[in-house]
Amino acid sequence: MKPHTPPGPWPLVLLLVAAVSVEAALVAGSVVYTKRFKTTLLAEPSPLAAAAGELALGRKLTVTESKGNWLHVSDGPQAGWVFSGNLAEIPPVETKGLDGLPVAAAQTTATAAARGLTPAAADYASRRGLESAREDLDWLLEQSANLTDEQVDEFLQAQKKGEYK
Amino acid sequence: MNPRLLLVYTACLALVAGPARAQFDFSKLTKAIDKAKTITDTAKDASKVAKGAAGIGPEEEKVIGDSVALEVIAKFGGLVRDEDVSHRVNLVGRALARYSDRPGLSWRFGVLASDTVNAFSAPDGYVFITRGLYDLAASDDQLAGILGHEIAHITRKHALNIVRRDEFFAGSKSLLEKYSGDYRQASAAAGQVDAQLQQFDVGVGKITAGLIEKGFDQPTEYAADQAGHNLAALTGYAPGGLRSVLVQLQQPGGQAKKTFSTHPPLKERIKRLPDEPAALPSPPAP
Repeated sequence: MKPHTPPGPWPLVLLLVAAVSVEAALVAGSVVYTKRFKTTLLAEPSPLAAAAGELALGRKLTVTESKGNWLHVSDGPQAGWVFSGNLAEIPPVETKGLDGLPVAAAQTTATAAARGLTPAAADYASRRGLESAREDLDWLLEQSANLTDEQVDEFLQAQKKGEYK
Repeated sequence: MNPRLLLVYTACLALVAGPARAQFDFSKLTKAIDKAKTITDTAKDASKVAKGAAGIGPEEEKVIGDSVALEVIAKFGGLVRDEDVSHRVNLVGRALARYSDRPGLSWRFGVLASDTVNAFSAPDGYVFITRGLYDLAASDDQLAGILGHEIAHITRKHALNIVRRDEFFAGSKSLLEKYSGDYRQASAAAGQVDAQLQQFDVGVGKITAGLIEKGFDQPTEYAADQAGHNLAALTGYAPGGLRSVLVQLQQPGGQAKKTFSTHPPLKERIKRLPDEPAALPSPPAP
């Protein structure tokens, strides 16, 4: 009889990680919302699957099935798979601020990340004598703008993170 | 040209031109001032029903975030301007932020040139980690745990809830309008700009003091711990990353008394986080 060998630590690690994933997953019948300007519905629960549709920001969806962190959702006649991290359990609460503008969530991350210091904040820096901090912040904004969404996506793929797990 | 600006401009020209036309132009100037006051009153009415973050619009959040970020950077000795460090912290941070509840914010992650051990967030996606804490986060799993906590503060608008919108923007319809040229000139005629800017500066000061000196209340911090933990796990990082850093700090010589001065006691935070793996077999970020 083959002697029993205690398992190494990794099965336990994977079990615990899986437990978190299951906890995060939603059951059929749950309601979720899109949280991006555009959310792609996929034909299969895989980031490489063919697109089955596209949804706008703030759409209310019904979960019809779940597989790990992937949810099969429907929005009327449209249906498909979406990684759960690309959906929210609560709707975007703001549609407009009192400044009368649409929510920042409606913008792409790339556009938002590339923005420079707002003129009002530049004025604030001058008023408060924060020129040195402003130089640092300008440097940070430039560094951030140089990191594109495509690079972040490549990183996620290489590291097998997010929907590429 | 905007009618308000035109009125003020015309009135000012006329006042300089001579007394014969002064009465007529003064009347126009008065109308312009009245119009500016109407804008003010409208804003005051709106602010009565707009409390806290709910009333602050995305463009206003950008201005507040930038201003608070400037204060945080100034108070912690500036930023570490190391491109490799910046690349790593922004890569891990942006990977997490992609799956946060507010993926469209302008997410920026900076390392403060301070050897204290702490981390801060400012509205509109600014996350700062001190060099002292960054050096402790050897693995991306640990770094993700720390950044996830701060991301949760931003997505839940904890800092914006420190002040009410009307404390920030009393005296103007919106910060954007306040900074538009025509409104500034009209408001200047009414002697309002300085007061408005002072009001804004006081608001930024309150948020900065809340972040740096007082910190959030303990329930808020525990909620951010849990939300950050969940975000890190969802993104694929080891869920025990944050907890392992806290445990590390609690060890003898771990600077426990000097760390996270604006956060709840390490012991309590550790107790409330699940005891899970602190690392997964993933290579560090390139």
